[in-house]
Parts: sequence; C-alpha cells; structure tokens
Amino acid sequence: MKSNLNSRFTGVLALGALLALTGCETVPETRTVDAKGPEAVNTSAINSQDWSNAADQLVGSLLSSNALDNAPRTPAVLAVDRVINNTQLMVDTDLLIKKIRVALTQTGKIAITNTMGLGERAVVASEAAELEEMQSGKKQKVLVPDYTLYAKLIQQSDKGTKVTQNTYSFQMSLVQTKTGLTVWEEEKSIAKQTKRAGSVGW
Amino acid sequence: MNTSSSSLLRLTGALFATGLALVLTGCATNVNTYERAESQAAPNYVADKRVITDNTLAGTFRVVSINQGTVSGNLLKIQATVENLKNKTRTLNYKFEWVDVNGMAVDSPNETWKAILLQGRETQTISTVAVTPKAVDFRLKFRE
Repeated sequence: MKSNLNSRFTGVLALGALLALTGCETVPETRTVDAKGPEAVNTSAINSQDWSNAADQLVGSLLSSNALDNAPRTPAVLAVDRVINNTQLMVDTDLLIKKIRVALTQTGKIAITNTMGLGERAVVASEAAELEEMQSGKKQKVLVPDYTLYAKLIQQSDKGTKVTQNTYSFQMSLVQTKTGLTVWEEEKSIAKQTKRAGSVGW
Repeated sequence: MNTSSSSLLRLTGALFATGLALVLTGCATNVNTYERAESQAAPNYVADKRVITDNTLAGTFRVVSINQGTVSGNLLKIQATVENLKNKTRTLNYKFEWVDVNGMAVDSPNETWKAILLQGRETQTISTVAVTPKAVDFRLKFRE
C-alpha cells in the first residue's frame, strides 16, 4: 500500500517536473496587429500610427481649407515637389507622401502627375511618351501642373534630466503654379517623450 | 490618559483626512473653460445612436455632441465634442469610419486609430474629413 503511494507520488512529481521544464520554453510568437492602431510598437521615432495620423491631419486640413475650390480644372493636376527629411531618421518619405497622394486622388479633385516633379517618377510612362513622340512625329501634350506639393520633416530633440522629448514636425505647402502663391500650408507636430533607462519616476 | 488618547485619535483622524484629500485632489490637472455666454455659431448637429459595450469607458469619456459640415464642395466633415469625465489626464483612442449610400464601408486611408490626451474634466473636439464624396455616413469608435 505504502509502496503504491510512493510510486504514485513519484509519478506526479515527475509529471510536474516535466511540465515545469517544458512550460518555460519560450516559443517565438508573432501576431498581426493593426499598423494604424494603438497596438503598433511605440518608439521614440515615427511609427506607423504616427505616419497615418500625420497624413490624416494634413489631408483634413487641406480639404477643410477649401483651397482646391478655385482650381482651374477638375481634377486639378498636382506635381509632388521636394520632400525634405531633416530628421535624424533614415526614413522613406513616401510613408507620408503616398498616404496623402492616395487620399487626394480618392477625393476626385486632384490627379497627380507621375512624369513631372521630384516625387515618385513613372519612368516607363515617360519613355512611352517619348517613344510615341518619335513614332508619330507629334509632340505629346503634357499637362502642366496646377499645383505643386512641398513638404519638410523636422525633428527637435529636447533633453531633460530624466526625459528626452523628440518633436517631429510635418510641414506641407500647396503652391499654385500659375501665380507661385502658397494657397495652403500646414504644420502638424507629434511629440514623444522617452524616459531614460535607469531613471526613477516620470 | 483618557484625554491624551482621545486627542491622539483626533490628530490621527485629521492627518488621515488631510492625506486622503491630498491623494484625491493632489494629482488633478483639471481644466477650467471660459466661452461666450451666447454662442454665435450655428452648428449642424447630428442625432446619434450609441452602442455601449464598455461601461467603464463610457463612464470616462462622454460624447457631448456631434456636428457635421461639408468642405471642398462635397466632402463630409464630422466633428465630435468629447469630455473627460474624470479628474485625471486620460488618453482616448478614437477612429472614424465611413459608410456609403448603400451602407457599404468606404475604405479610406484616414481610417486610423488616433490618440488624444484629455486633461481632467477637459472638453476637446475631434474631427475628420471624408476623402471621397461617396461617404454619406460615419461611425465613431472609442477605446481606451
């Protein structure tokens, strides 16, 4: 009877040890999250949610300004001008510009030229137009942009004793090519505070 | 002995009450607001339907009003006024979604969760513009 109890106890102990040993094994786990949601990893840099928020705020401001109401045609032709990245981050500025292009194109008020400007260039489209010119002997009619879009990203770092704050400014201007006048401009900022490692309290 | 013990008790009680008052009010960053008594604005308010699945969240943030307008000719703009019902600074995550005339969701690049900080008892407005004229309705979602 006693030996039976002993063997049962040993069995339970062995099972427990097995569970304890295998339970601690860390299996790499990957889950899909909403890139534009609060689950996105927050860092001191510009994360996916920040890009989306900045683009949304800039588009909202441009559309609310009614600056496109006086466009000479619908859709007005827009060329993307320089997008200057003056932050310390090595980022592709299309993370911002593409979102704005998509939104503006969806409004139906803007058509973005891809064969002019300093933004995304459609190389094959340009070559096709040149080829068409050569073959037909007729000059292709390229639409002159009505507007150009200029943007700049700026980073300002402020260091306190325990906290570092990075403020990212997203500046954007819409210039009417006919007059050279800026018909809309906006600046949106995102400030991120990071507590230094080892510091106590916030 | 009796007198000294009762005064000690009274002192302890007073200290406890002071401490409690400090704890309750010490961290508050409430916002006082002043505005024109008779508003000149004439907002176009939207009658809203509310689906509450998180009572704690509903007890923290209150949608005071929702109004709408049209920008750039035919694009719907929605603005909601939100109030933090608590005495402490709280973060609210919100998202606007768009619906077309057929009741279909309109996929929009500006459908993102955004975070705003509201100080204690502060009222703020949140807004968005539909990027397509197809959007005729909206849904506003909150999460903490």
